[in-house]
Formats: sequence, structure tokens, C-alpha cells
Amino acid sequence: MSTYIDVARETATTSKAARPAGLGEIMPALIFVGIFFIVPVVALLLRSVLEPVVGFGNYAELLGSATYLKIFANTFIVSGLVTAISLLIGFPVAWTLAIMPTRLASVIFAVLLLSMWTNLLARTYAWMVLLQRTGLINKMLIGMGLIDRPLPLVNNLTGVTIGMTYIMLPFIILPLYGVIKKIDPAILQAAALCGANRWQCLTRVLLPLAARGMVAGALMVFVMSLGYYVTPSLLGGTANMMLAELIAQFVQSLVNWGMGGAAALVLLVVTLSLYAVQLRLFGVQNTGGR
Amino acid sequence: MLLNFDRLGWWKYALVAVTVLTAAFLLLPILFIAALSFGSSQWLIFPPPGWTLQWYSQLFADPQWLGSAWTSFRIASIVTVLSVLLGLVTSFGLVRGTFLFRDALKALFLTPMILPVVVLAVALYAFFLRMGLGGTMIGFVISHLVLALPFSILSISNALEGFDKSIEDAAVLCGASPLEAKIRVTLPAISHGLFSAAVFSFLTSWDEVVVAIFMASPTLQTLPVKVWSTLRQDLTPVIAAASSLLILLTITLMALVAIARKVLKS
Repeated sequence: MSTYIDVARETATTSKAARPAGLGEIMPALIFVGIFFIVPVVALLLRSVLEPVVGFGNYAELLGSATYLKIFANTFIVSGLVTAISLLIGFPVAWTLAIMPTRLASVIFAVLLLSMWTNLLARTYAWMVLLQRTGLINKMLIGMGLIDRPLPLVNNLTGVTIGMTYIMLPFIILPLYGVIKKIDPAILQAAALCGANRWQCLTRVLLPLAARGMVAGALMVFVMSLGYYVTPSLLGGTANMMLAELIAQFVQSLVNWGMGGAAALVLLVVTLSLYAVQLRLFGVQNTGGR
Repeated sequence: MLLNFDRLGWWKYALVAVTVLTAAFLLLPILFIAALSFGSSQWLIFPPPGWTLQWYSQLFADPQWLGSAWTSFRIASIVTVLSVLLGLVTSFGLVRGTFLFRDALKALFLTPMILPVVVLAVALYAFFLRMGLGGTMIGFVISHLVLALPFSILSISNALEGFDKSIEDAAVLCGASPLEAKIRVTLPAISHGLFSAAVFSFLTSWDEVVVAIFMASPTLQTLPVKVWSTLRQDLTPVIAAASSLLILLTITLMALVAIARKVLKS
């Protein structure tokens, strides 16, 4: 009995003494993240207004030059294209997965997860080989008699779009699946009973009910696409550079930290503000971007 | 009707066709790499004229490829241990803590997941240049840990939130010290979270490309960096062999997670 009281007393006193509780436990991680995440990122952004001279000269140059504006435009065009195509393919797939017999669906899920977790470089390499002039895709198209001469599928917009869409598809299918799975089939039955035909059921009931999920998934894919580096630089050409490559180029080959920092800030501001929109509209969701 | 598979009519076939084609599209590059790595054509002709193991023997005969694989493995292992330990302690603080701005701090810990990786890579590159950590093992470990820690905190926090703290309190009341209760009662109960934290941390480090490109030096590089720099010269089938090994490890770890989930849940 006495031990019971002792323990109870001890628990009471320690929780009072250690208020606010839990701060000690998060301290090591907080210090780590502070030194190796916040400080470096803030320092990089500061360099954009400090180097080579103090002021906003780097931003003026970045936003005033046709070359850089073209890169911004291209980044948005590629991301927009990838988002649109992913949504177009992803919606029917997510819909089918939500209503398919579970055994078949779980096979498709395994494929989705496998592709998501397969090394990004490995997958990009595969597309470089598949899409080249003498690659399998061109050979198949010629073999089927659809084209006479090999199409330029890589080192251009087509290549980046195919490669990026391939990477983004799982990221849009999985959240959409969750949204469609939650829709009550009775609502659609009711619509059918009220005389709606299949097409009306789709456009007036199912699509509006899934709209929130579609916007959330599209935003996520768009934001992730904006910052991608590896795939665009391997599958895209020099003519359609994207923002992440520009940042890397400023830093690696031009050793221009001021401009690199400025471009990084632009990417960061666009990314975080779109992410804030998503948070405001839909609450927290898991993302992952490379 | 649209959500009932059997009553979709001919739409059913159209939808299944799109889904199967998409799955094939997702699977194609992965199978293609595996096939290429055994193909005998130097010029990556497919289907290849014959089958061979020469790309694998080239891979294993080259000290650079082997060295970078070993570097990757060592870095990923250290990152995994640190990430799980740090993630565990932090999750206890985040889940049970009562301090101000708890949710904001949790969001801060998860930010590296949503930040464009190239920004982090460039920022760390600049920072490590000044600290003299560029191209070092410590530099690699730190930078990969920044990326792996959010996954760890997320999986362990989720597991810990699903655990009823009164069970731990009961152990204390039965005479265990608070630490003993945590180790012998709470840890086994959240082991599935620890396990997925470990696997995600390992894979995050093992597959990391962008930060590693900036972190690497001529003498110290990870396997993805070696793949990257070889890719810039040519598309040799040796890369297919290296990629196949990267994928094989991923599949093995994913299968382990699936098995562990089943075992730990039952």
C-alpha cells in the first residue's frame, strides 16, 4: 500500500517539477534541426540579398531577364502538364481500385508501392534507354507502322513529361483512392433511382464528390513537380531547363551564391505558399518530394 | 451504380483496361532494367541477342562501384540507428509533452519532407563548405539524417499515439521504474512503428540522390552518386546491373515490412 502511495506522490511531483513536460525530450532533435536545417537554409536565402552587394539586385536580375523568366514559365508548364495528365489517368485508376475485387486491387497496390519506392535514378535511367532514338518505344511504334522515322522522345518536353508523370502517378492515385473509397454508394444509387443516367451520375455526382480530393492531389503533384531536379535534368533538354536545375547551375558551375539563393527563395516561396493553400483547404497530408 | 463493380456494364471493361495499362506502365521500367542487366548487348538493344552476367561481373570487379555501394550501406546504417534513436526520444516529447507550440514544433520537424530537396542540398552544400564537412562521412550522415528524421518521427509518433499510456503507468504502479516500464512495456508495444521508422530511414538514405550529388567528393561517393556520374558519360548496361541491385534491396526491405506488419499485429 505504501509503495502505491509513494509512486502516486512521485508521479505527481515529477510532473509538476518537469513542467512543461516533454521539452527535454525534443531538445536534441530541435538543436539538430536548428543547426543543420534552419541555419543553412536561412543562410542561403540571406546570401541572395548580401552577395555580391547588399540589396535586391539578384532578384531584379532574376525577374527582369527573359532567359530566367523562360525557365520559370517552363517550370510551370511542365508541372501543369504533369499534373493534368496524372489527374486524367489517376482518377479512373483510383476509381477502379476503390471498387475492384480486393484481391486484384491488392496486386495493383503492390505495383504502385513498388514503383514509388524504387530508386528514382534507376527509374529515370530506364526511361532514358526506353525513349532514346533506338529505344524500345520508338522501335515498337515503327514496328506497328505508326511512324516511319524515330521520334525525338528524350531531351525535350516530351521526355520530361513522360518521366515526371510516371513518377507522380502513385502520388495522385493513392489520395484519390482514399477519397473515392469514402463516398457512400447509396448516394449514387439514389441518383440512378431519380433517373440520372450513367453519364449524369459521373459528372453531377461522383466527380463533384471527389473534387476536393482531386484538387488536393493535383496541388500536391504540382508542388512536388516544381522542385524536381534529377528527372528533368536527365530527361529534359537544355532548351527546357527547370527551376531546380537553374539553382544547381548557379551554385555548381557559376559559383554565384547570390543568384542561387535568390532562385532558391523563389522556389521556396511558391512551394510553401501552395502548400499553405493546401493546408488551409484540406488539412494535413503526407507528402514527399525529391 | 457507379460504385458497384458488377453493375458498371461495359464501363467496367474500360476502367479495368485503363488500370491494368497504368499498372503495366508503372511496372515496365522496373522489369526493363532487370532484363537489360542480363542482356548481352552493349548498345542496350532490346530484346537482346543473348543473355549474360558480364555486367554484374564488371560491377563487382570495379573497386569504385563496390566502394560506393559499401559507402552507401555504411551511411544508411548509421543514419538508421541515429534516426530511430532520435525519432524515439523526440516522439515521446511530442506525443506526451505539454509545452507551448507543440503542434508548430511537430510541423517544423516534418518540414524537410515538403521542402524542395534541391534547396536543402544547396543550403547544406554551402554550410558544409564553410564547416569543412563537404565530402566527409559525417557530412553525408548529417544531411541524410535531416531527410530521414521526419519519416522516423512520423512513424514512431503515430505508433505512440495509438498506445494507451495507462498500461505503462500500470507497470510503474506494479513496481517497475519509469524507464523500465518504457523499455519493457511501451517499446515492444510500439515496435511496428520503430521497425517502419528504421526501414524508411534506411531507404531514404540508401536512395537519396540530390543531396548526395552535392555532398560527394571524388574519393567519397554513394552508389546513387556513382550511378549519376556514370549516367552522364554513357548508358552502359553496368548501370542497369547497379540499378537492379538498388531495386532488389528495396523489394527485400518492403517485403520485410509487409511480413513484420503481419507478425507484429497478430
